[in-house]
Amino acid sequence: MSNVGTVKHIPKETRYNFLQMGAPASYVAGLGRGASGFTTRSDIGPAREGPSAEAIAEAMAKRGEEVPDPDALQDPDDERNLFAGTVYEADDEEADMIWESVDQRMDARRRAKREASEAEIAAKERAMNPKLQTQFADLKRSLSGLNDADWNAIPEAGNLTGKRRKHNLRLEENQNGRSYAVSDTVLADAASRNVILGELDAAQQEVSLNSLYTRRQTEHIQNGGYETPAGDGTMTDFVSIGNARDKVLSLRLDQASKDATNGSSTSVDPRGYMTALNSQIIQTDAQIGDIKQARQLLQNLIQSNPKHAPGWIAAASLEVHAKKMVQARKIIAEGCEKCPKSEDVWFHAAELNTPENAKVILGKAVQHVPQSVKIWLKAASLETDTTAKKRVLRKALEFIPNSVRLWKETVNLEDDPEDARILLTRAVEVIPTSVELWLTLARLETPENARKVLNSARARIPTSHEIYIAAGRLAEQSPSAVGDVKFEDDAARRQALAPQVDKLMAGAVARLTKAQAILPREQWLQEAERCETEGSPLTAQAIVKATIHLEVEEEDRRTVWLEDADRAEKGGFYEVARACFVVLLETFPKSPSVWRTAAEFEKKHGTPEAVQEILAKGVEHCPHAEVLWLMAAKELWVGGNVKGAQEVLARAFQQNEDSESIFLAAAKIAVETGETEAAQQILQKARAQADTDRIWMKSAVLERQLGKLDEALVTLEQAIAKYPHFDKLHMIRGQIYSDRNEVVNARNAYAQGCKACPKSIPLWILSSRLEEKAGVIIKARALLEKGRLYNPKNDELWAASVRMEERTGGPQQAKTLLARAMQECPTSPTLLAMGIFMENPQQRKSRSVDALKKAPDHAVVIVAVARLFWGERKIEKTRQWMQNAITADSDWGDAWGWWLKFERQHGEKERQEAVISACEKAAPHHGPTWQSVSKDLANVGKSTREILELVADRLE
Amino acid sequence: MSYFMTHLHSGWHVDQAILVEEDRVVCIRFGHDFNEDCMAMDETLYGVMEKVQNFCVIYLVDITEVPDFNKMYELYDPCTVMFFYRNKHIMIDLGTGNNNKINWPMSDKQEVIDIIETVYRGASKGRGLVVAPKDYSTRHKY
Repeated sequence: MSNVGTVKHIPKETRYNFLQMGAPASYVAGLGRGASGFTTRSDIGPAREGPSAEAIAEAMAKRGEEVPDPDALQDPDDERNLFAGTVYEADDEEADMIWESVDQRMDARRRAKREASEAEIAAKERAMNPKLQTQFADLKRSLSGLNDADWNAIPEAGNLTGKRRKHNLRLEENQNGRSYAVSDTVLADAASRNVILGELDAAQQEVSLNSLYTRRQTEHIQNGGYETPAGDGTMTDFVSIGNARDKVLSLRLDQASKDATNGSSTSVDPRGYMTALNSQIIQTDAQIGDIKQARQLLQNLIQSNPKHAPGWIAAASLEVHAKKMVQARKIIAEGCEKCPKSEDVWFHAAELNTPENAKVILGKAVQHVPQSVKIWLKAASLETDTTAKKRVLRKALEFIPNSVRLWKETVNLEDDPEDARILLTRAVEVIPTSVELWLTLARLETPENARKVLNSARARIPTSHEIYIAAGRLAEQSPSAVGDVKFEDDAARRQALAPQVDKLMAGAVARLTKAQAILPREQWLQEAERCETEGSPLTAQAIVKATIHLEVEEEDRRTVWLEDADRAEKGGFYEVARACFVVLLETFPKSPSVWRTAAEFEKKHGTPEAVQEILAKGVEHCPHAEVLWLMAAKELWVGGNVKGAQEVLARAFQQNEDSESIFLAAAKIAVETGETEAAQQILQKARAQADTDRIWMKSAVLERQLGKLDEALVTLEQAIAKYPHFDKLHMIRGQIYSDRNEVVNARNAYAQGCKACPKSIPLWILSSRLEEKAGVIIKARALLEKGRLYNPKNDELWAASVRMEERTGGPQQAKTLLARAMQECPTSPTLLAMGIFMENPQQRKSRSVDALKKAPDHAVVIVAVARLFWGERKIEKTRQWMQNAITADSDWGDAWGWWLKFERQHGEKERQEAVISACEKAAPHHGPTWQSVSKDLANVGKSTREILELVADRLE
Repeated sequence: MSYFMTHLHSGWHVDQAILVEEDRVVCIRFGHDFNEDCMAMDETLYGVMEKVQNFCVIYLVDITEVPDFNKMYELYDPCTVMFFYRNKHIMIDLGTGNNNKINWPMSDKQEVIDIIETVYRGASKGRGLVVAPKDYSTRHKY
């Protein structure tokens, strides 16, 4: 069936003829193409591999074919069937004998001839390829003629196979050339397992095993101790060897693991043991081998090239490494003799010897190499006595007068500044190029002389910026050195000094530029910062002023300088930052933003006077920058100088005649100081000049505050006619009416407002509140709904609706409304927080988890959670969550109010105070309750503390 | 639409249909013409028949008329579609766990075309198992 399952090529015309043909009789489906099934769902029914044998047989029978008999085609020789069961009898045997004899007879015929022909063929074969043995057969035969002496004279054959070499290599590889002494326990164990060995005495066992272990069988066998049968037995007992080896390994592993875990064994203090091990000098074979080899190498080196100093040093260090100090000293002494001109050799010799000997050695050394600073310093360091040290160093300076290091050491040893000064004076004469020495000298001199010193230093080293900076600092610290002026006041002194230092630094930079030794600006700034940290602010400023313009393109000067200032400010280098600002302000006097940044910087880190000074200058340069005017006025006002503030604002008016914000600021100051008339006048003027919606609103508010409600209403009418789309005007009007209980008017006002500004949410809420107050709940509800229609997805309106329902319609209605609200604004924190408290107490917790998930960092939700904890009397937890709420949004006044309320109930006085002071610092502005309290007319002008207390009272 | 499509009426016809196809995929729908699932599937198959005729031929087999393959191919579902290429059953990884066949009705013609094309491309490269362009596992539905 070789064609089963192959796709034959059938011409296209006849290919699909089968569709019209009938199927052959009893065709087995799938068989014709050798199809096989699969089993994936044996739970439903059995699958099978193609058609089964029975199906095939059945089909064949149907087709009329002979079903083949399985036994039909058997091997006839295999007497499986015919005689399979019979017994071998006597006549059978006889028959076999007869057949045997026939065979023999046939074999005997022509035997001679056959054998002859076979022998001939064999001989031919042998001749064709002869055996080695037969080739040397004659030589072998002649061996019989040799006598004993001849035999002895035959040389031994060398081992040319390389077998031994290979063997050794393997040994080394496996064991690193080591052999192990086997521990007694292993031997005992192996012995007890091996019965044959039990018959031998212990010594023999040990040696035999040992011998096996160290693999030196040959040696021991040569010794001849093991020609016993037991010895032979051990030779082949590989099992015990394997066991012993395993045991050794396990012992070693145990030990290793104990070491690793720092000792589980109790008898040994593991740490002590380890330290003992550390202190031991372990010289492994490899190290010793290395040392030996290195020693030989170095020996060769110093013998072949005795004038090579490093060779001697290396040889000596090797001996030191091998802990042979005597040998090392000997070698280095020899080295000193051979290379007396090498300072290193002498130095090492001194190192290797005791201090007394070292002194002698160094004494010799300076005779040979008097110019070596190293040796002189070593000699000085060996002296314990200061005077002796001084003596050595002085001597050294005689030989080497131009070593900065020696001079410094010498000067350092001097206790008396006067002596040091004299020494340094001499030093700078000898070494005029050392900046360090000059600076040290300048530091030691009196200010007048220091100036001279620095001047001469500058003359000698025109490329050193350090000298210039030192000069600047000197000028700053001791002004008498520069001029004979005395100042009582520190600030005055600074002011007088600053230009001098600036000039000095500018000159310095110019000269350094000339000398082509100018530093990159980054480095200059670092120098300035260092000067500031070392207490020379003026020098720091001078450096900045002189160098900040370096390497900056014309166009990005401003950004780069601002960055510099910012970085300095962050690093805490305020003087540097101030200097940056000074330069900035000088360069960009017309830029209000620069003035503002500078003022803010001074506000943060400087005195109020400095701020005012900067702002005053700023408004001079940018008279149209309202921000600067306002800042200046505010600074003055905050500082308590109301008059000054008013003056500033008056000046601001002159410059900016129709500026809304300045008018408002002026009016605010007037109101705050109680000059309401003035305020009204100002606002009237503002209405005429600036004529903006805010001014109108403010004037209406002022009139309302003053109780002149009718006037306020008149103003509002005018304002609304002008600005019908400013919602606050409508709100104020409505509030005034509702305050006066003129519901109809208020309603009209709100209706007009809602029509003009349908997007104003407070307006909608206020108007609905009015209706609610008036008792017309349906209208209130309708208004809010209308508001929602205009402002979809607005959670404030929804919250207002829900609250109104809560107040009037009962909790159930509020709940359904809230559900609708949540559908529209699913992540609104206000609604989520409301939702928590509208649930019954059991479900509040899960609701709060939900809310936290949806709006995780909103103060409203966090406060709601805190209140839940509060309800459960979990004081600490509540406090923590209150803190969280504040961290999330410190501008949210309600959170502060809740916290204070909580602390009033559960906390001590100190905690309440802490909350209040923290709140004062944060100065919150937002939060519905907070805003309603702080904007209440009754609370105008109250401090944060008072408002916070009011809020805490109002919250429920 | 089953009456517009070629039916195979015996096991021999099925075998011949698979054997004579030299360079096209043979796609066989096993089921009943009156079954709802089959009707849906036939509708789709009829729709794509013309489009895929260059590389696929589609036949329908009634599993009551031709029960020979029911056990072999586990034809227990109301509607089963199998693919063959050069007398080799081509398996498709549909993400359903059964790579042997498509045993649910498909209504998107483009998806069916995509699957047939994938089978053709894979099978003509000698692959016995191809991966369907879309994952049909039910877990995405939940």
